[in-house]
Amino acid sequence: MMLSYFQRLIEILPFFLKGLKMTVAVAGLGLIIGTLFGFLLGILRASDKKWLTWPIGVYVALIRGTPFIVQIFIIFFILPDWGVQLDAFPAAILAMSILGAAFICEIVAGGVKAVDRGQWEAATSSGLNIIQKLRFVIVPQAMQTILPPLVGQYVLLIKDSSVVSVIGVMELTRVGWLTVVRIPEGLMVFSLVGVLYFAISYPLILLSNRMERKMSLGQVRL
Amino acid sequence: MLENFNFRIIWEYMPFFLEGLRNTFLISIVSLVLALLVGISACACRLSQWRLLRGAATIYIESIRSTPLLVQIYFFYFGLPTLGLRIPEIQTGILALMLNSGAYIAEIVRAGIVSVSAGQIEAGIASGLNYFQRMRFIILPQALGVTVPPLLGQAIVLFKDSALLSMIAVAELTRSGQVLSSERFMPSEAFLTVAFFYLCIYFFLKSLADWSQKKLIFREAY
Amino acid sequence: MIKFEGVHKWFGKLHVLNDINLHVTSGEVVVICGPSGSGKSTLIRCVNRLEKFQKGKLWVDDVPLHDHGVNLTQLRAEISFVFQQFHLYPHMTALQNVILAPVNVRKMNKAEAADLGRETLTRVDMADKFDSYPAQLSGGQQQRVAIARGLAMSPKIMLFDEPTSALDPEMIGEVLDVMVQLADEGMTMCVVTHEMGFARQVAHRVIFMDEGELVETGQPDSFFDNPQTERAAQFISKILTH
Repeated sequence: MMLSYFQRLIEILPFFLKGLKMTVAVAGLGLIIGTLFGFLLGILRASDKKWLTWPIGVYVALIRGTPFIVQIFIIFFILPDWGVQLDAFPAAILAMSILGAAFICEIVAGGVKAVDRGQWEAATSSGLNIIQKLRFVIVPQAMQTILPPLVGQYVLLIKDSSVVSVIGVMELTRVGWLTVVRIPEGLMVFSLVGVLYFAISYPLILLSNRMERKMSLGQVRL
Repeated sequence: MLENFNFRIIWEYMPFFLEGLRNTFLISIVSLVLALLVGISACACRLSQWRLLRGAATIYIESIRSTPLLVQIYFFYFGLPTLGLRIPEIQTGILALMLNSGAYIAEIVRAGIVSVSAGQIEAGIASGLNYFQRMRFIILPQALGVTVPPLLGQAIVLFKDSALLSMIAVAELTRSGQVLSSERFMPSEAFLTVAFFYLCIYFFLKSLADWSQKKLIFREAY
Repeated sequence: MIKFEGVHKWFGKLHVLNDINLHVTSGEVVVICGPSGSGKSTLIRCVNRLEKFQKGKLWVDDVPLHDHGVNLTQLRAEISFVFQQFHLYPHMTALQNVILAPVNVRKMNKAEAADLGRETLTRVDMADKFDSYPAQLSGGQQQRVAIARGLAMSPKIMLFDEPTSALDPEMIGEVLDVMVQLADEGMTMCVVTHEMGFARQVAHRVIFMDEGELVETGQPDSFFDNPQTERAAQFISKILTH
């Protein structure tokens, strides 16, 4: 009995690996786009211009204040009402990017603000322009504060990508859900799904922990 | 784009939304209390002398942290019946939320305890305080300052996470949105109302967390 | 070179600069002293516009800083600023610290800039520390690298904000030596410091500030030995017994 389930699971494994690939695609694309916009917004958010920081703060609060699943429903079901019809995959990428950018923005802003004011002054008085200041002086130093929580955030976002299964993206969680309907072995099916998520996120968790330890010992050198 | 926004339907469904909101509250609070118990126990195990306990706690915490909550929910929802356990969805959901948040809370509590320096404990011993007095007057007050703000942060996460129980048909806030959306084909009214309720609770909890941070952080106060 | 005309500055209600009139000519070394909070740091921070001022006129190298639309980047490239806390970039080696602005502001090519950087670091007696990171250097060494960082831009003016105040006593000498050498080479310098020895040796003028006002100005020897105002006399007696 057990064995036959196991055999069917083996038969279905390629299906799972396809789901894994989709999870990597959704999470990966979402992370890349989210990181780009997160850094951009985070740097702007660290400025002292109210008209810049305020709207970004509102955006961050709206995203942090609502469940991701509700955000996905809004993007997938409401945008069509407003004339933007998206397929499940692009909708998922959009939702992941918006979510990622909001959280990464806060991490980046925190890191930039943590850089000593004297560093800004020193860079200013050598005549560097704002882009040069950020690129050569501020961001490299902020990265020490940014990196450990950023990797931790990546883990959270990869896990959040499971929620895009609700609009039918054929990623890992969706595959598990479809499988369990055919093979009623919930524990086994979702253990397998869990193991595959573990394989992606656990290395990142270890990396984040290691960076955090190094940070607290002041050993990170870039 | 909002000119067709139908406030009447929202009003008509308001009792329904409020019931969902009430359930979201109930689920979140019950899960949070249980998660605190689980978390503190898991933390105690993780810091224990016995390797077996320590190992078990570590496996529990790490496997929860590296897999998505939605997968954990499905694991119990589809898995428990295969073990012959048939329990209502709402209890399955609370079980999943409790175990999920418990793992994060265990880490938060551990960080709080570890943050009290050995010197503080030695100073307590040197001035002749017994174990309970040291806990009461030295360790707990300092550990709380580091623990309460992230615990409130976890409470916010938990209450947003409870939205995922809508996927196993628990009649909470997000579910009421889904029902309105599919009964009347009005996703805008449904999900924007849901988002609005979540935002209200978020801002309440957020200001509580910010306030506690101001009140409780006396270490490294400036 | 630098000309203040009736400059006022407020931090909120606090009047930090009160009607400053001052003319520093090319090649002049001016030492500015006064009790803490007297506005002396603010004064030199106005010169490269790290601080804005609300009223009055200020020309630096004939550029009117009180006008809108001044090209600050260009101006700052001509003025070097040495901070009390050094503010070296901790993630860069000594050499990288020195050549960052020449490469990116002066658009010098990297090899050329590296030569210049090594030459400049040698001038401040740091020839053996090109590849050290700030954390591996003593305070005195860090401050000399900071001076080299300023020098590498071949500035017309160098501003020093209490350059030796954050140093252990045994390291003050090595930094002052470099500054004396610069003064001897004819650099225009404004130095906020309480180092009387340095002032007597190289300053053309000493300026005494108190509560945002420019109270007294004079030759170093006459200022220290025979101050004209009560406030200056009190201040000098304090730093002497210190």
